[in-house]
Amino acid sequence: MSSNLPILLFLVPFFAGVSMPIVTAKRRALCSRIALGTAIVMVVLATLNLRVVMTQGPIEYALGGWTAPIGIAWLNDSIAAVVVLTVSVVTLLSLIYGRLVVTSDLEKNVPYYTLILVMVSGLVGIVFAADLFNVFVFLEVAALTGYALVGAGGGKALVYAFRYLLLGSFGATLYLLGLSHLYVATGTLNMADLAVRLPELMTSTAVAGGLIYMFLGLSIKMALIPLHSWLPDAYTNAPSAVTPFLASTVTKVALVAWIRIEYSLIAPNVEVSAVPVLVLLEELGVIAALIGGALALIQTDLRRMFAYGGISHIGLILIGVSLGNDTGFAGGMFYLVNDAIMQAALFMIIGTIIYYHKAYTLDDIRGLGHHTSPWLTGALIIVAMAMVGLPPTGGFFGKWNIVLGALEAEHYLAAFTVVASTLLTLGYFLKVFAAWFLQPQDVEIQSIEVSNSIRLSLGVVSFAMIALGFMSDFVVQFLLQSVSSGGI
Amino acid sequence: MIELLQTLIQRPNFVVFVILFLWGIYIMAAHPNFVKKLIGLYIVQTSAIFFLVAFSAKEGATVPVIVEGAAAVEPLIYANPLPHVLTVTAIVVQVATLGVSLALVSAIYRKFGTLEEDEVMEQLR
Repeated sequence: MSSNLPILLFLVPFFAGVSMPIVTAKRRALCSRIALGTAIVMVVLATLNLRVVMTQGPIEYALGGWTAPIGIAWLNDSIAAVVVLTVSVVTLLSLIYGRLVVTSDLEKNVPYYTLILVMVSGLVGIVFAADLFNVFVFLEVAALTGYALVGAGGGKALVYAFRYLLLGSFGATLYLLGLSHLYVATGTLNMADLAVRLPELMTSTAVAGGLIYMFLGLSIKMALIPLHSWLPDAYTNAPSAVTPFLASTVTKVALVAWIRIEYSLIAPNVEVSAVPVLVLLEELGVIAALIGGALALIQTDLRRMFAYGGISHIGLILIGVSLGNDTGFAGGMFYLVNDAIMQAALFMIIGTIIYYHKAYTLDDIRGLGHHTSPWLTGALIIVAMAMVGLPPTGGFFGKWNIVLGALEAEHYLAAFTVVASTLLTLGYFLKVFAAWFLQPQDVEIQSIEVSNSIRLSLGVVSFAMIALGFMSDFVVQFLLQSVSSGGI
Repeated sequence: MIELLQTLIQRPNFVVFVILFLWGIYIMAAHPNFVKKLIGLYIVQTSAIFFLVAFSAKEGATVPVIVEGAAAVEPLIYANPLPHVLTVTAIVVQVATLGVSLALVSAIYRKFGTLEEDEVMEQLR
């Protein structure tokens, strides 16, 4: 049983999702219960899986009993265990949160729940897969359901979902092209196998080209600046029931896929035509973090603002994992987990504001802090602390480790960027709070009570952000196991 | 220069791949019509598949099925199955993408009554 946990984590949401339209053909009301039940089962399984990895160390799972390099390998290590647990928790919370919003936003619930569950199975697959082509297939499973979820609201969202589809599929094609280049050069697609064969081939243009294609493809998926243009539009117009889930998982999991490739295939200090690869990636992260933060600062629409905030955090994580030392890597990975929770929290808060107050922009939320539910204000303050990076939230420890890693590697630009992006984040949250706590001028709006499902989801995400801060040392040490056990 | 030409002439498959790839990107970027953009995307995806097929093609190769009891396995006479498996899977992915994208395009048409991007953007404003 315990050795089959990875495949169970994939199959449970997949079958629940695919069989949903048939099982609930007579009674549509069952949908949300089945989806919630599946998510709870996933959280339990992911926790068990985390325990197994903690006690037994990384496990290679051979699909169908065929071991690598002939068969397809899945790697169940500390990174996979932590990220899968995060994805499961976020799924459960978004489903709880979505119960209220979904009925008003999406007329037909069956496709919504089916798509979310199938998408989760794709995300789990990406995280576990240790085979380049397997990653591609799961990327597409997650992406196709993602396009449908963005477009599910109808109206404007359709056009932006279509743009997302064009860019996303183009990215996937680039990734496919890249992996076929690597296959031509090495004759294998298994990451562990590639890690053995690649180092001596680094001078080959086919390998360099393949890695560049794969990075370009994945950076469209993870919305790395300047390939981010699909994200703000898609998240601004997608139904509020799906944005917390999409924002917290899609880009982050694509980044996890890249981190796996980067760490197993690109050795530190490796240079292609005198360009140190990791430093190049780090500089791309610097650009993304700074420009993303600056663009967030000038937005007036709240969803756009936080979408750009997420883009800048992708840059921060990329800086952390590309520093080439353990501290930076642990910081980046820890920040990735935190960022998943923070993005979910942010978009839940905005969704709630839109649902109760019909407020979309900074002007709309003026004075809202005086008559809205204290749950909303409290969650907003905690998420702001986490985004800016104040202790005791997890965001602080992630950024702290990235800065320490940057100083250790003597990359002062990276260290400066983390601090500067913190200031930019502080800047746009100041704008939000300035509007939020402004004295309301004229109209008296009666105060509202948020529903229990929203209280529960907001409470849990706020708690998780602080709890991650207290557990940071433990989680960081656990994540580092993947690095010390000889490459992920 | 002559060397470059030589390498190009010796690899017609890859020249075709490059042409298809760039052509697809051009159509995706330049045409305002949604369906034409889709066709461009389809050409790009096909070019990647063409690339997979181009490097895995082997003249006179046979099906990679080892007959039980055969004396020795000659790897040279078999076609490499893996790129072909990748090709088939990539085609399936492509078809799924096409399905979702056509559904989106038809929904856009029902909502906005046009398939031209500039007209749709005007309505959005």
